[in-house]
Amino acid sequence: MPDQNQVKEKIANLLNQPVSKLEDGAVLTTLVVESFALIEMVIELQEEFGVQLVQEDLKDIKTVGDLTGLIASRSR
Amino acid sequence: MLSENELWILSFYRTSEISGALFFGKLAKSMKPGEIQRDMTKHFSDEALHSWYWTSCIERLGAQALKLSEAYQDQYLAAAGMPVNLMEVLAITQVFEKRVVNQYARHSQVAGLQPEVSETLARIMIDEKWHIEWIHDALKKMESEYGKDLIEATLKRFWEADRDVYSKTMQEHEERIQGLVRLK
Repeated sequence: MPDQNQVKEKIANLLNQPVSKLEDGAVLTTLVVESFALIEMVIELQEEFGVQLVQEDLKDIKTVGDLTGLIASRSR
Repeated sequence: MLSENELWILSFYRTSEISGALFFGKLAKSMKPGEIQRDMTKHFSDEALHSWYWTSCIERLGAQALKLSEAYQDQYLAAAGMPVNLMEVLAITQVFEKRVVNQYARHSQVAGLQPEVSETLARIMIDEKWHIEWIHDALKKMESEYGKDLIEATLKRFWEADRDVYSKTMQEHEERIQGLVRLK
């Protein structure tokens, strides 16, 4: 089961940014401005970590920390 | 020759095809090997080709495609919320493609339509019908993973968003599309 840091590393890789620049409080829609790019990232994370999410799961997910926490907690 | 409104409408179609191609291209690139990867690859290549058909059509009619900043799909995300898994992506695409076929079919009925536009619409609609079929089949196969009820509820939610988006678009561009509602 991955921890949040591993998920964050994957996000950094997908966004082509250094992990050090991805603070837990960074707002996702500010970090990834283009909607389609955000969709792509969320789907890739699910594929990578074997997680299945639905729209309801992301209702309260706003920041990098929210997302890494969700993926890490749901990973099989 | 194209009127200003006709040029805008065809350019809007072109921009939306490009947006679709770029999005599906990225998805096709990231997908695991399998049927969906295969069909999505064809889907994205079709959308790119459609944008070329519109570009070429506009040029043959003596104009150049307008550079527009917003595509029809952008409004879907605002209305329906972001799809977060492959099933939701396919569901929202299914709804969108059916809307596209509907719109193109209506456009093809416009009185006095230029042959270049008529031919382009006919070519594109052949592909769009296949797009609807492969996505329908893919969603069917996903029932074992997501459940039939969830897929149907997802499609229903996106249909509701589609109705809102279409209605809003028609209102916003009423003047531009007035010519398109004169059916044969």
